[in-house]
Amino acid sequence: MTMNAVATTTRKVPRAGVDLLRIVRINEEIKRVVSVSFKINIMALNAIFLAKRAGTAALGFGVLSNELRVFSQDLRNCMESLTDLIHGCVGEVSIVLQDIRFTRLLGEAAQLAPKSAAPAVLAQREAENDMHANKLATLRNQLKRALEDAFQIVELGGVLAKSAKIEAAYGQSFAAPLAQVSGEFDGIVEEIRSSLESLRRSAFFTGH
Amino acid sequence: MKITETIFQDGTHKWVAIVRDPDKPNFLIDTNEYLVTHGGQGMLLDPGGAEIFPAVFSALSSEFDPSALAAVFASHQDPDICSSLALWLEFNPKMRCYVSWLWNSFIPHFGGTAETFISIPDEGMDINLAGLTLRTVPAHYLHSSGNFNLYDKVAKILFSGDVGAALLPAEQNGLFVEDFDKHIRHAEGFHRRWMGSNEAKRRWCERVSQLEIDMLCPQHGAIYRGADVQRFISWFDDLQVGIVKA
Repeated sequence: MTMNAVATTTRKVPRAGVDLLRIVRINEEIKRVVSVSFKINIMALNAIFLAKRAGTAALGFGVLSNELRVFSQDLRNCMESLTDLIHGCVGEVSIVLQDIRFTRLLGEAAQLAPKSAAPAVLAQREAENDMHANKLATLRNQLKRALEDAFQIVELGGVLAKSAKIEAAYGQSFAAPLAQVSGEFDGIVEEIRSSLESLRRSAFFTGH
Repeated sequence: MKITETIFQDGTHKWVAIVRDPDKPNFLIDTNEYLVTHGGQGMLLDPGGAEIFPAVFSALSSEFDPSALAAVFASHQDPDICSSLALWLEFNPKMRCYVSWLWNSFIPHFGGTAETFISIPDEGMDINLAGLTLRTVPAHYLHSSGNFNLYDKVAKILFSGDVGAALLPAEQNGLFVEDFDKHIRHAEGFHRRWMGSNEAKRRWCERVSQLEIDMLCPQHGAIYRGADVQRFISWFDDLQVGIVKA
C-alpha cells in the first residue's frame, strides 16, 4: 500500500503542475471578459443618451441599452464568482503540490525505515491527499457550472444586442448612429462568447 | 542513509550525532543533526532540510521513537536548518520548535502552527528536557542576525550551529577533527564570508570561553573535542570576518 501511494503521488506531480498553469490561463481569460464587460457598460450609457436625443423614435432602443447595462453588471458579478472559485482552485492545487512533495519524502522515509511510524503516517498523509484532491474536483465542477451560468447570461446579451440592431432601424434620422452602436454591442458580445468558449474548452475541465 | 554515532551517554542522557549520508546529492550542502535525549524525551537540534528528511528520519528512528520528540531547536532560520519542520510535525503535532524571536513568524512558512513556536529572547533562555537543563547561548550575527547555540552543562557539549562549520572534501569525512591545522583550512573561507561581525565574534569568543566544553559540535563538518575546542575559539578570535572580495 505504501509503495502504491508513492507511485500514485509521483504520477500526480505533472498533472498538478499543469493544472496550475491552466488555472493561470483561465484567470487571464476571465480578466479579459471583465474588462470587455466594463466596456459594454460605458457603451450602454452612451447609447442611453443617444436614445434620449432620438426621442420617441428610439424608445425601444433606450430600453434595450438599459438592459445591456444590467447585462454588463450581471456578467461582471458572474465573473467575480468565477474569480473566487479560481482563487480557491489555486489554493487547493498549491496544497496538492505540497502534499505530493511531502508524500514523496515520507515515502522515502518509509522505505528506509519500514518498521518505524513512517508507513502509518504516510497512509494518513495519502488519505489527506485524497481529501484535497476531492476538494479540487468539487471546485472544478463548481467552476464548470459557473461558466455555464456565464454562458446563459451571454446568450441573453446576444439577444439584446440583436434586438438593439432591429430597433436601430426604426430610429429615423438617428438610424445610422444607433445601428453603429448596436453593431458594436453585437461585436463585443461575440468577443465575450468566444472567450467563454475557449474557457469551456480548457483542458482543466476536459482533462485532455 | 545517514549514520548515527553516540558522542555522549550517561544513563538516559545521550547525545547522538546524525551525520554523513553517502547517498546525498552533491547539490545539497551536507549537514549534521544532533539528537539529545533525557528521561525518555528527545530534542532534535537543527533537524535539517526537507530533502534530507528521509535520511535523517531513518537514522534517528534506529535510535529513538520520532513521535517522542518533544522539541526541535533551530539555531536560525535557514532552509538547511529547519525546512523539514512540517514533516517532523506529522509524527508529533504537539512537538515544539525553539527559535530566536526574530524568526518566529518566518519559520512558520516551513510548517507548524502558532502553538508550535517558542521564542527565544536575545539574551537566551533555559530549555528543560525531562529535567535536563539546556542553555541557549546567544551567537547573533554568526551568521544569522538571530542566532543561538545550545549548551549542555552536564555533557559539556556546545552545539555551535554554523560556528566551527567546515566544508570538507569528500575524502575527509571523519566525525571528529583529527588534525586541526589541516581541518581549519576548510573552515576559514566559510567563516570569513558567512560571519558578518567582528564585534559579535569577539563577544561570542568571550562568552563561550567561560563555558566548560569537551565537544564543540557544528552543523557542518567535524566535531572539535578536547584541546581543539580552545584552539578553535582562539583561531576564530584572531580571524577577520565579514570580508568579501567584490
